[in-house]
Amino acid sequence: MDEFQTGEETAFVVDEVSTIIKESVEGAIGGNAYQHSRVNQWTTNIVEQSLSQLSKLGKPFKYIVTCVIMQKNGAGLQTASSCFWDNTTDGSCTVRWENKSMYCIVSVFGLAI
Amino acid sequence: MSDLAKEKAARLLKKRGSVSSLGSHDVRAKETRDKTKDSISTVSYIDEPGHHDDNPRPAVQMENTFQLAPYRRFPVLTVNDILKDVLASYLQEEKYEAELCRQMTKTISEVIKARVKDLMVPRYKIIVLISIGQLSDQNMRIGSRCLWDASNDTFSSHTFKNSSLFAVANVYAVYFE
Repeated sequence: MDEFQTGEETAFVVDEVSTIIKESVEGAIGGNAYQHSRVNQWTTNIVEQSLSQLSKLGKPFKYIVTCVIMQKNGAGLQTASSCFWDNTTDGSCTVRWENKSMYCIVSVFGLAI
Repeated sequence: MSDLAKEKAARLLKKRGSVSSLGSHDVRAKETRDKTKDSISTVSYIDEPGHHDDNPRPAVQMENTFQLAPYRRFPVLTVNDILKDVLASYLQEEKYEAELCRQMTKTISEVIKARVKDLMVPRYKIIVLISIGQLSDQNMRIGSRCLWDASNDTFSSHTFKNSSLFAVANVYAVYFE
């Protein structure tokens, strides 16, 4: 397949992506306290909002967005990810957000086509 | 982590010669912080892609393969079994402890990646995501959405629970066109 773009435009740019994620999270749950009944909707909103903003970037990438929302209760959580991909073109970014009552962790993986 | 499990993992990874952040200390993880009125956010990522100064590889020109779809599809059920197997064997008797589980998540994700790579499914990129958490009175929701080609790309997921911890494993397989 012929590439009509230079290498600069088709790398995974972390700053752009993290800004998009932060905005989605703030928009969906900023200023709210943890509510069990709304959590399902919040995760869906965050993930779908992020994904639609990412697709608007118009880059030749496939995206995987994962969101974890956890109530603050003193419990611990560890997360790790392992990826088999092309280091020069693919990348990932994780945003950890917290307020007084909950944690939200969003991971985005971008894989070049 | 029990010595037996550590040895098992080390042997498996050495055999495959995979690069991981388990033992190496030169993985650069960067973080930036941001604070608003009542929330804090942190961004972290590993070394930016495409900016390697040492030995830049010349852009590889790929020939057309005229291949529209993968010859062999990703075996979801086999991977389900791998996840079940690995999570059960590494976590069956463990209690949640911060340091132990930190190492455990990294080890398990590397082991799962190695075993999925062993399936040798050509042209598929693999992402393995593991979360291990402590069982207490909290509630938690994990969700993910993907923007990809639904006919070729897929994922596999498994949850494990014992008396003091729970573990969630997700494997995403993306076809490289």
